[in-house]
Amino acid sequence: MTDGRRLAVVPAKYQPPLPPQLIVRDALDPEAVPMDVVFVGGGPAGLAGAIELAKLVKADNETGEGLGDVQIAVLEKAAGLGEHCLSGAVVNPRAFRELFPDLQESDFPFRAPVTKERVYFMKGGRALRIPTPPTMQNHGHHIASLSEIVRWLGEKAEGMGVNIFTGFPVASLVMDGERAIGVRTTPTGLMRDGTPGSGFAPPTDISACITVLSEGTRGSLSQAWMEQAGINSENPQIYALGVKEIWETKKPLDAIVHTLGWPLPNDAFGGSFMYPLTPNLVAIGIVVGMDYSTTTLDVHQLLQELKTASLFREYLEGGEMIEWGAKTIPEGGYYALPKKRYGDGLLVVGDAAGFVEVASLKGVHYAVQSGIYAARTIFDALKKNDICENTMARYDALVNASYIASDLKERRNMRLAFQHGGLYIGGIKAALMTLTKGAFPGGRVESNADAVVPRAVKPAEPFVPDGKLTFSKLDANFKSGNATRDTIPSHLVIGQDIPPEIAELYEHMCPAGVYEQNDGRLVVNQANCIDCKATDVIGPRWTPREGESGPKYRLM
Amino acid sequence: MANILAFAEARSGELRKVALEVVTAARKLADATGGEVHALLVGAPGIAAKSDQLAQHGADVVLLCEHDAFERYNPEATSALAAERIKSGGYRAALFATSAMGRDLAPRVAGKLAAGIVTDVTAVELTGDTLTVKHPINIGKVIATVSIAGTPAVVSLRPNTYSPAANPKAGRVENVAPVGDPSATRVRVKEVVAGSSGKLDLAEAPVIVAGGRGLKAAENFKLVEDLADAFGNAAVGATRAVTDDGWRPHADQIGQTGRLVSPELYIAVGISGAVQHLAGMRTSKTIVAINKDKDAPIFKIADYGIVGDVFEIVPALTAAVREARKGH
Amino acid sequence: MKIAVCIKRVPDMDVRFRIASDGASVDETGVKFDLNDFDAWAVEAALQLKEKAGQGEVVVVSLGPNAVQETIRKALSMGADRGIHLQADRIPFDGFAIASALAAELKDGGYDLILFGKLSPDSSNGVTGPIVAELLDLACVTSISKLDMADGGGTAKRELEGAQEIVEFKLPAVLTVDEGLNTARYPSLKGIMAAKKKPLESKPAQLGEPKVKVEKLELPPERSAGKIVGEGVAAVPELVRLLHTEARVL
Repeated sequence: MTDGRRLAVVPAKYQPPLPPQLIVRDALDPEAVPMDVVFVGGGPAGLAGAIELAKLVKADNETGEGLGDVQIAVLEKAAGLGEHCLSGAVVNPRAFRELFPDLQESDFPFRAPVTKERVYFMKGGRALRIPTPPTMQNHGHHIASLSEIVRWLGEKAEGMGVNIFTGFPVASLVMDGERAIGVRTTPTGLMRDGTPGSGFAPPTDISACITVLSEGTRGSLSQAWMEQAGINSENPQIYALGVKEIWETKKPLDAIVHTLGWPLPNDAFGGSFMYPLTPNLVAIGIVVGMDYSTTTLDVHQLLQELKTASLFREYLEGGEMIEWGAKTIPEGGYYALPKKRYGDGLLVVGDAAGFVEVASLKGVHYAVQSGIYAARTIFDALKKNDICENTMARYDALVNASYIASDLKERRNMRLAFQHGGLYIGGIKAALMTLTKGAFPGGRVESNADAVVPRAVKPAEPFVPDGKLTFSKLDANFKSGNATRDTIPSHLVIGQDIPPEIAELYEHMCPAGVYEQNDGRLVVNQANCIDCKATDVIGPRWTPREGESGPKYRLM
Repeated sequence: MANILAFAEARSGELRKVALEVVTAARKLADATGGEVHALLVGAPGIAAKSDQLAQHGADVVLLCEHDAFERYNPEATSALAAERIKSGGYRAALFATSAMGRDLAPRVAGKLAAGIVTDVTAVELTGDTLTVKHPINIGKVIATVSIAGTPAVVSLRPNTYSPAANPKAGRVENVAPVGDPSATRVRVKEVVAGSSGKLDLAEAPVIVAGGRGLKAAENFKLVEDLADAFGNAAVGATRAVTDDGWRPHADQIGQTGRLVSPELYIAVGISGAVQHLAGMRTSKTIVAINKDKDAPIFKIADYGIVGDVFEIVPALTAAVREARKGH
Repeated sequence: MKIAVCIKRVPDMDVRFRIASDGASVDETGVKFDLNDFDAWAVEAALQLKEKAGQGEVVVVSLGPNAVQETIRKALSMGADRGIHLQADRIPFDGFAIASALAAELKDGGYDLILFGKLSPDSSNGVTGPIVAELLDLACVTSISKLDMADGGGTAKRELEGAQEIVEFKLPAVLTVDEGLNTARYPSLKGIMAAKKKPLESKPAQLGEPKVKVEKLELPPERSAGKIVGEGVAAVPELVRLLHTEARVL
């Protein structure tokens, strides 16, 4: 544009490609730590996989003709298990029953069963109660904190002899030809200019017969592996960004609450939730599709505005916000699933594979279930001493024959309807789809990757947080427990020649205050990053950094 | 009636301010039961001249030990002497400062006497037989009330919690001898290296002037330094945003992930007041905030605020402080 | 050189603490625990001394409930040789009680050096190391930020207010470690694997009679907002007057 001002910008134009170092084809260090199976990421999928595999190996060895010692490792980038995990969460216990057939439902690390639920349509801060749509019914499900679930799974895994290494992000997948042969961790103790500081520790190689990518949402290695293997999906994966707070409240809450509408603009997809972990310990959050249409939509700010509605304020006022966090959610559903989730010596599970059903916004039980299927596939492969693609293909067969695939297929176009029509028209379409169990409209609705959706340049809505009910990003970040070393090199790969409109988009896109726009110039505060991965979806690329960086969620 | 021993800390022949704080606190404690304050003053020959200052702040007796071996801090001989005096004098409590010296000395004394000890105390009280103290735990996020059983109780006081108060008493000097040979020790302070001249550490500066992003550029920290200079007893601090940007060294960062400070006066210049910063300075006695944004959270905890341009206000304040401090 | 390092499991400080229903302890629900930073530097110092000497043994000792074994394992994964767990239902607040139990364990161990962190941020007393030194009648230097060993002794640096002390000491000695002495190493993957096989002995702690008791815990009062003195340069004289007459800090 001649006057230098843009009316709309396309984020993809400024987004760098995936960094090449995510896949390396060097020989493994001869001193590599030898493992049989490595799970990259200690979330629900990776830990469930490790537990199921340890169980199968143990039972096999009890027959007297077992595999013997099988070394299973789970590598987790957070300082402690669960500290980078965030979900709503209302959890379907189905996969937990399958993973722990000997346990009662009351033994699971859930806070409370869902007994009452209410859904509201919001208009300008006012709430109108509406009947609970069938896709949002949660009877038989449990309110839970994913951080707590993951810590509990970790204890179970450790008790079964799984090697859990927290504080070890994986920087690279090591491949020999088309076969995954291990992983390489990030170095520790680098200074901002990339030189080793005191406390420097070089990367460590881990060799593995089978590597499982259980990285969670927008996994870097998973993306890189699929890209190099030429694996795609019918539709590109799309994401939502969720921002969540935990509150200690004065007034007890006795039901799970969902809302649609305000403060989201009509053309944005999303909604909000409020769940009581205990009557006076409440999770509140908002989820917004990252295909929103302006440069200044700000999910963190939307959550702050949401809380000023009397529906929420009456619970929160006088209470205290004790934790804050954010995470993206893959919500492309059925048509965004990678066509292949296995390779030679490799499997992709959980959110990294896109196993989220978007109408109910659930993924935890699919993550656990896919971990279980991965474990069964791996166990067979180890028994046959054959880890080639054909053997690993059993994993996809198990997933495709399961409720993971059928649930996602039934609601295959629901999210996509909203990319074409916004809340009202999208809502009507979604209702029809529900009634017809996905038969309407038939076929596949096409969608675009979030980064290629143009964003109208729009001035930001001013918002002044009061520090009691509403918070600035900096104060919110503090409540994530983020204490990343200030002097590490930046792990964010920024594009070239970022114009002011894109800098402004980044500033509002990032819930953690990593990006600021200062007189049109992009300022990057990389230590604020809490690994939600929103930046990787439409902005600068996120790469694995020093272990133990990022948030320290306890109740998310 | 309970007598209290106050350890009067001196360095390089000079009393430290904390010595007067400890004597002041001891006086309050002794007065509660009609007891006496005995100040223990240890140093190289010549230190006797400081006895009067202790008397002026409430010492009934000054226990004076002058010896060449006490030219520098002598941990073993000083703790042996203090323990011996406390035991033979039958004191109800012995008060120290939670200074670098007091942190070392008080637990040694408690160890020798098998006495109960609490350090870094912000209040001490004697009611009847019970000696209780307030002691911040968990980096000040929780305040504990702790009782100390038995006699004597060993307590060290957080600096700047008791302001030295004049309360003249007789200050009768009693010379006491070291225990054994004070030169024959396993630990010896060979040398005291003075820090860079005039530069006060954040931990002990009575005044801190701290700057934030509102200063816009590293070179504008000159304004903050000038203001600190005008006070004469001030240290310079910074927010995490500023140290992250390399405007100031990380050692200057005040906040949850940096230094925790509680000076008499804290002046926040161009600091919005992120929770992480407030966590490091909210226990300051008086907080002044200068910021252009009237909605900045820093004003919610500041005792005094000025809304406006830091580049105009700070130089004016610097000049006014220089004027006010003339004659100091 | 035989070195003992006394380490403590402490709560993560980056949280808002709640007072438990007894009113005298912190509610530990959901609180994360880890090796005290100062103690990690003490472990690091011990490992460096052993590495420099090319031989020796580093023994880590910790007192508390079974969960402290996790903390001991962390020190073992950094490179310490073996661990001793002194069992107690909870870690007492009283530094003297802890020091008595540690001294009883360390007394006949033949250690050249016994290292501590200078304090733990939870109880914030910083007395355990020097009390152990007194109970065992050992030389002691506290809060060291630099250390050089020589035959039969060493030289350490202590930070004072605006100055530094250079301190000589004879072995055997107790040293407590301040920030700045070193940067603690991260446990390596190999170290974590190796630590699983290192010896960890567990036995009851011989705690001394407590001499201090936490009667009550409370949260510090919220600071209330003060006043806006005014706007711009015009407000400066009034601010100076208030600092002088009301706050009395000028």
